[in-house]
Amino acid sequence: MAHRRVPTPSQTIGPFFPEHFVGGADHDLTFLDDKSKRAQGQKIYIGGNIYEAERLPRWNCVVEIWQPDANGCFAHPNDPRRARADPNFVGWGRRSSDDAGWYDFITVKPGGYADPLTGKPRAPHIDISIMSSGLMRRVVTTLFFPGEAANVQDPVFNAIPDAAVRERLILRPEKLERAPNDAIAYRLDIVLQGEGETPFFVD
Amino acid sequence: MTPPDRYEPYDEPSQPLMRVDGYRESQLRTPSRPLYKRPATLTEITGPLNLAKKLKVGMNDLSRIKQGAPRAMGQLIWVTGRLLDEDAMPVRGSVLEVWQANAAGRYVHKADSGNPAPQDPNFFGSGRCVTDREGRYAFLSVKPGAYPVPNHPTRWWRPPHIHFSILGEGFMSRLVTQMYFPGEPLNGIDLLLKAVPDEKGRERLVARWTPMMQLERADVVGFEHDIVVRGHRATPMGF
Repeated sequence: MAHRRVPTPSQTIGPFFPEHFVGGADHDLTFLDDKSKRAQGQKIYIGGNIYEAERLPRWNCVVEIWQPDANGCFAHPNDPRRARADPNFVGWGRRSSDDAGWYDFITVKPGGYADPLTGKPRAPHIDISIMSSGLMRRVVTTLFFPGEAANVQDPVFNAIPDAAVRERLILRPEKLERAPNDAIAYRLDIVLQGEGETPFFVD
Repeated sequence: MTPPDRYEPYDEPSQPLMRVDGYRESQLRTPSRPLYKRPATLTEITGPLNLAKKLKVGMNDLSRIKQGAPRAMGQLIWVTGRLLDEDAMPVRGSVLEVWQANAAGRYVHKADSGNPAPQDPNFFGSGRCVTDREGRYAFLSVKPGAYPVPNHPTRWWRPPHIHFSILGEGFMSRLVTQMYFPGEPLNGIDLLLKAVPDEKGRERLVARWTPMMQLERADVVGFEHDIVVRGHRATPMGF
């Protein structure tokens, strides 16, 4: 076998990520190229502000999400249940935060699943990455849903020992102006640094 | 070939510091609390493999607005390389995005409107492709110019560089990086390149010049730049 190669260092995404790379409907995960075929599941809207130090809104962040489909499946060879994955759901979306620091996604509520790696149940969740000028590496965390019985057993949720800090990752139902009428709306603000700082995970 | 299913933490000195002296934005945006360790679960070892369904690919000529249009000003360059995992296996079918400044050091972006350097109406400035069976990517462009970092007290100039965004085969192999050019005097003083503590790590960000004889075309200066993303495969293909 070939000798081990060391991963290329990360560098900041900078302030000039092309605008046409984050345009269009890349933040809407409920359909692929063909709008007539919708992803299965409950449509949801997730939005919030991103803040840097001193609670200043951080515009021009590149935000990406990754999640299982409504049945908790991934269309990926590493998922033993991949045959059941929704063919109209890619699970990935991207958005840039606007001038007021607002990011948002339209997606379907992810299903939980029995995790083959840890042997524990994963509660419904969405992985989120934030890239920005000033961030030499992306920061990553996971969003959880309120009132889910599986949250208490989730190995990622419980990787944060302090319950008050952990709570910052739970989406809050809120009526949001930009949410589509047929979607359940949730809010989650992300504080990169400072009071109420969002807990982030080792990438 | 199956995608990687094992990801180890990054080797710290080979990755950049998060807080960089003199780079003010890094002081304002880097989380102040330590990061939490979490176990990798299925969500982390999977990722979007069919992104070409969602994203428009096949834009690999940055040097002009469209086919047949006039070329941007500057020295034409051909940049190619392979996307590999940690076992040097090719990462196939990955979306790879690039963007850069024009030959005068200005981006096609509204956030660069304060830059006194000229725009070039013929410069497209960004591209997106999918890596092939060998993990290879290639694009045609013009050599980017250096540019001063706005409002920086020590007159910090960024050396010529190209930005890369790589989706890989899983959430954990996502990589955003920059490629630098060999022999550039500004490389040695760049705060972002210098943020990588390990010298070998910094070298991994610098492309190699391709000898003319190895290029299929005579109208470009060639550069070769392999990129390694995280991940090991359970059943690597034998050699």
